[in-house]
Amino acid sequence: MRWYRINALMLKYYYITINRLDRIFDMLYWPLIGLLIWGFTSYFIMDLTKESQVLNIFLGGAILWTFYQRASQDMGNYILEDFWSRNLYNLLSTPVEPQEIILSAVLFGLIRSVITFGLLALLGAVLYSFNIFGAGIFVVLLFSLALLLLGWVFGIFVTGLIFRYGVKIQVFAWSFAFLIQPFSAVFYPLSSTPLWLQKISLVFPTTHAFEGMRYAFATGKIAWNSLFFAFFLDAILLIVMYYFFLHCFKQARKVGIIAKME
Amino acid sequence: MDAITISNLSKTYQSRSKVNYALKNVSFSVREGEMFGLLGPNGAGKTTIINILSGLLTKDKGIITILSKDPEIEKEAVKNQMNVGAAYSFLTGILTVEQNLRVYGKLYGVKDLDQRISHLLKIFEIEDLRHKKVFILSTGQIIRVILCKGLINNPKVLLLDECTVGLDPDIAQKTRKILKDYQKEQGTTIVFTSHNMTEVEQLCDRIAFLHKGEILMIGTPKELRKRIKTQSVKIDIIGEKRKSLRSIVERFKVKVTESKLNMVIFEIRGEVELPKIINAIIKEGLEIIDINVRKPSLEDVFLKIARGEQL
Repeated sequence: MRWYRINALMLKYYYITINRLDRIFDMLYWPLIGLLIWGFTSYFIMDLTKESQVLNIFLGGAILWTFYQRASQDMGNYILEDFWSRNLYNLLSTPVEPQEIILSAVLFGLIRSVITFGLLALLGAVLYSFNIFGAGIFVVLLFSLALLLLGWVFGIFVTGLIFRYGVKIQVFAWSFAFLIQPFSAVFYPLSSTPLWLQKISLVFPTTHAFEGMRYAFATGKIAWNSLFFAFFLDAILLIVMYYFFLHCFKQARKVGIIAKME
Repeated sequence: MDAITISNLSKTYQSRSKVNYALKNVSFSVREGEMFGLLGPNGAGKTTIINILSGLLTKDKGIITILSKDPEIEKEAVKNQMNVGAAYSFLTGILTVEQNLRVYGKLYGVKDLDQRISHLLKIFEIEDLRHKKVFILSTGQIIRVILCKGLINNPKVLLLDECTVGLDPDIAQKTRKILKDYQKEQGTTIVFTSHNMTEVEQLCDRIAFLHKGEILMIGTPKELRKRIKTQSVKIDIIGEKRKSLRSIVERFKVKVTESKLNMVIFEIRGEVELPKIINAIIKEGLEIIDINVRKPSLEDVFLKIARGEQL
């Protein structure tokens, strides 16, 4: 693994971002729209219920969800750019390693996620007097990291699928992040869902992260149990998906999908 | 010394219960500083060889060394000294020419990158495209950018797959000259695939003919042409006596490939038969106005191989 190659790939992602309006839109515009919708919805429900935790639940959920979503989608999107351009042929004939492609996308995604998060946190404070760090900076950073990790895990999974099956599965790059949203208790507590759904939800690190965040907002304390399970599940999934990606990459070289550039 | 050696290289593709051979025990070597052509009809295996050499495709069996290294084991060392250019590939379309070249230069760890980019854009005469996005370029312009990318790291081994397809004749000629000059100046080893026989004859020191995944012949263009024993003869006469002209020629058991009312084209082996045929035509009272003996070209070799005919 060479840092100069990782830098080169990050430079490419930077060029893509500044040259493509939709890459700036998905970093700033859509999260902003989400924040506005959830902010006004929260105010409306607060008026109805007089429940002060509504803002924490909805806005906290929406802001942290963008962390996971950006991390997950960015990786697939930047790799897909090479497929769309039929550039993968040239890229993979350089000394670049698949791990460098993953790491560069992770790091660039992290920068984009932090920018989005910063903007949303700032606007949340200005527009709705909502302090995302109200649960404690340390807690927010830890649970954000757990969400980022899962985003990268699914990004790696989708990237593996793209390498193996080409652009025909590109829909996963945009939709996969959302597939687990109903099971992740993003905007509602886990206890409010049916028992069978709770069992499924507990498999996803996102569930533990959002449960932990809500607990921190409500009590000001860290739910160590949630934190442990979020990172533990992240670690298992990361190892599994990393090997899945390497397997897909190996298969792609065997069947020639990279050379065919389909 | 050999820059590339390939021995018993095989590659198969599995489709349902059928195994298709893309390459069957292919062996050849490319000398350092040589321009080596891979020729053959579609599906012959030329691109498969390029893809395996560039690491985009895995081999089933066989041994490959590039610059005396195993590219599977010393991948980074080999790839740093190698580059590819394929007409059917593309660069990141949303990036400008300069941005693309900068990214590739950095991937290869090229020093003095600004200078290198300017130099390459200048020799390929595309300095005006520097700040243009790649997706708006014409095919010919993109190919020249791809060639700039191919030379960005000053490679010791350059693999070019159909890299002049889509270029205007004058640009193609210029590009060939640039590549040849570059190769002579830098001592670059170039493996070149093309369907353009004239181009291959002009550029390549040696050529391998491939057909259905196997190498049929290797040699210099001159050696390969000599492998064709037959020559094509065209005789034109005054008047329109097709039947008699054709039948006179056929008496000598030669293969008539085309005949019109006042013209016949046939193939002969050696030049011994030709005076006899001419004498016979004159004796029949026909007046010859032109005799054209065409030496076999590389294209004839290519076509005969593609048709599965004997040379």
